[in-house]
Amino acid sequence: MRVNPNFVPDIVSDLQQSQSTLNTLLQEVATGKSVNQPSDNPSASSQMVQNSLESSDAATYTQNISSTLANVQSASSVLSSIVTQLSQAVSLGTEGANGTNNSTDLADLSQQVQSILSTVVSQANTSVEGVYLFGGTASGAAPYTVNAASPSGYKYNGNSDSNSVAVGDNLSVQVNLPGSQIFSNSSNSVIGALSSLASALSSGDSTQIESATAAVDSSINNVSQAQGFYSNAESQLNSQETFLQQETVTLSTQQNNLVGADEATVATELSQAETDNSAALAAAAKVLPNTLLDYLVPPS
Amino acid sequence: MGGLNTTLLVATQGLSAAEAALDSASNNISNANTPGYTREQVQLSENPEYLNGDTVTGGGVTVNGVASVRAQLLNLQIQQQTSLQSSVNTQSSNLQSIQDLFSSTGGDIGSMLNAFSSSLAALSANPANSSVQDSVVTAGQNLAQSFNSTASGLEGAQTAADQQVTQTVAQINSLTSQIAQLNSQLTPTVMSQQNGGTIEDQRDQLVQQLSGLVGISITQSSDGEVITTANGSPLVMGNRSFALQTTTGSDGFQQVLDANGNNITASIQGGQLGGAIQTRDQIIPGFLDSLNALATQFADSVNGAQAKGTDSTGATGQPFFSIPSSGSAAAGLSVALTSGSQVAISSDGSTGSNGNITNLLAAVNGNMSSGQTPADAYGDIVYDVGSAASNATAQSTALGDNITQLTNQQSSVSGVNLDEETTNLIRYQTAYEAAARVVSTIQLLNTVTLEMGTSQSY
Repeated sequence: MRVNPNFVPDIVSDLQQSQSTLNTLLQEVATGKSVNQPSDNPSASSQMVQNSLESSDAATYTQNISSTLANVQSASSVLSSIVTQLSQAVSLGTEGANGTNNSTDLADLSQQVQSILSTVVSQANTSVEGVYLFGGTASGAAPYTVNAASPSGYKYNGNSDSNSVAVGDNLSVQVNLPGSQIFSNSSNSVIGALSSLASALSSGDSTQIESATAAVDSSINNVSQAQGFYSNAESQLNSQETFLQQETVTLSTQQNNLVGADEATVATELSQAETDNSAALAAAAKVLPNTLLDYLVPPS
Repeated sequence: MGGLNTTLLVATQGLSAAEAALDSASNNISNANTPGYTREQVQLSENPEYLNGDTVTGGGVTVNGVASVRAQLLNLQIQQQTSLQSSVNTQSSNLQSIQDLFSSTGGDIGSMLNAFSSSLAALSANPANSSVQDSVVTAGQNLAQSFNSTASGLEGAQTAADQQVTQTVAQINSLTSQIAQLNSQLTPTVMSQQNGGTIEDQRDQLVQQLSGLVGISITQSSDGEVITTANGSPLVMGNRSFALQTTTGSDGFQQVLDANGNNITASIQGGQLGGAIQTRDQIIPGFLDSLNALATQFADSVNGAQAKGTDSTGATGQPFFSIPSSGSAAAGLSVALTSGSQVAISSDGSTGSNGNITNLLAAVNGNMSSGQTPADAYGDIVYDVGSAASNATAQSTALGDNITQLTNQQSSVSGVNLDEETTNLIRYQTAYEAAARVVSTIQLLNTVTLEMGTSQSY
């Protein structure tokens, strides 16, 4: 049978194929990815869209948690300081009600309670990076301002809403309580109770002092409940942060499975491809120049 | 008959035959690497013997001509496979440039969608921060731009395919007129004497090129070779060629008309022309439709979420994205908001509220009206583009292997083997030398005969 005498195109195409395999493997080694364009693996490329969306969201949620945690922790420490202040006010009230105080003492006590009231109000006006912690969602302005028309002497400028921060897909954590719920609750107001105590002490009426002291005492509950809320939010945020860390690991493992190149395999394949390429080149060099003319004796 | 003169005549014929064979070997060697060349063989036949009573004398040899050794069936198969491969190659090279638009490079729609989603999620923790608000608008603008550039990339590829249609039609017309010209030279006489020879080689080579441009069907008729497109529109009939024409269609793209003015665009298959038409009229419009649907639904979804909230100026949320009322939604998608303060973050009207972020995030990460999330819908487009590109490449490789095999078979029939020609050269050289020796022997004998009786030796 006659064979194809013209094998040059075959050799060229073999060499090109071998070179193309080498190039692909080199790219995989260099990028560490086996999928560098959609056609390399359409299904993995498609799944990568979702994966990278989730990865970048997880990173943002983690940032959200760390910035929110700072606010929640500040709120929490403000509240414990307020509880201390309120306990002190209760002691002052109890002291004022025991009937052994003269008017100067009472005026002094009243003065101290008044000073506690201003401290509490100033703490209720705490802001972190311009955001007032206890104004509800109206966080752009100080929630409490002096107002002579109000019985307590202070007016609440915030609202009764609260914000929830997104910390996961379909997961939001409520991160604040409005001041109206903690400090100026209509049935059990911290500010109202302190203000009444201060007036009662200055009036010297021990019955009023006792009832005002009891009101301050019971308002501590409100603040303690709020503390409970914040510590709960803190623990929710912490556990979500742990979850997101695991999620990030899972996503990057998934990403590696989808588009990552296995170094050992690729390196082995690369070395194999190099051998193949050298063999193809060597074979071409040996075969190409061979013709019968090499062996014929030239005419003398 | 018989005698020395007859022998001399026969020897002369031997010399001619050897010369013709040497000539053919020399021509084969010269054309060993000429594309489309088919090796030639000298057709020799023996002459009838002379009968003279009981004596029989050999009649010598006749050179009948030179025949090209052709494999018609293989030629036909190679042409068909070339049409198919050329079509998928055209699609493949177009898809390569298209799939770059969908590679995760940082500027693609997927990456920009991630950035937009992240910017909204970040706003959840800092609803009142104006720089975070502005970054949502910026991320939205980037996303809209990446929709714009992807759509314009697709439309650019479509225009490039359209230009390819015009150019290919011009090339087809030039080839068909050359083929008709060569057909006119392939008269029955030439065909019978030389089996087509170099003219047929050239014609086959041009037909081969033509099959790379458009799918063709070849039949033989009384007029000679008839070439039509796969759907039967004539291109060449014997020595006449029929030029294809192009005209701008209602969609702004070039339509292909046959010589009678019939629009044959949709029925053209195979070859560069078929590949370009398929890319332009089917593949790219498919991707554009999906992208436009995604752009429209995504914009509606985000705009719907905006309308549920209040922006930082206290107004009800205005549409975030605007879609052009006509034309491609993806190409014309833009951000309608001019400032971060217009992002409808608040659910209760107060500036510090982030209550509507949940709705906005759900618009980006949740289901759109199609029931798919934007990332899923975009992922589907990436899959479609990737698999179309990878299929085209795989088909091209498979067809390339077929063509290589067929070409090998064709070469094994028609290709010039230098070893074979060298052997023939030696064979015919020897034959020539032998015939020449016969001539010189007869010359010697003639001299001897003429000198008979004149010699002084007796």
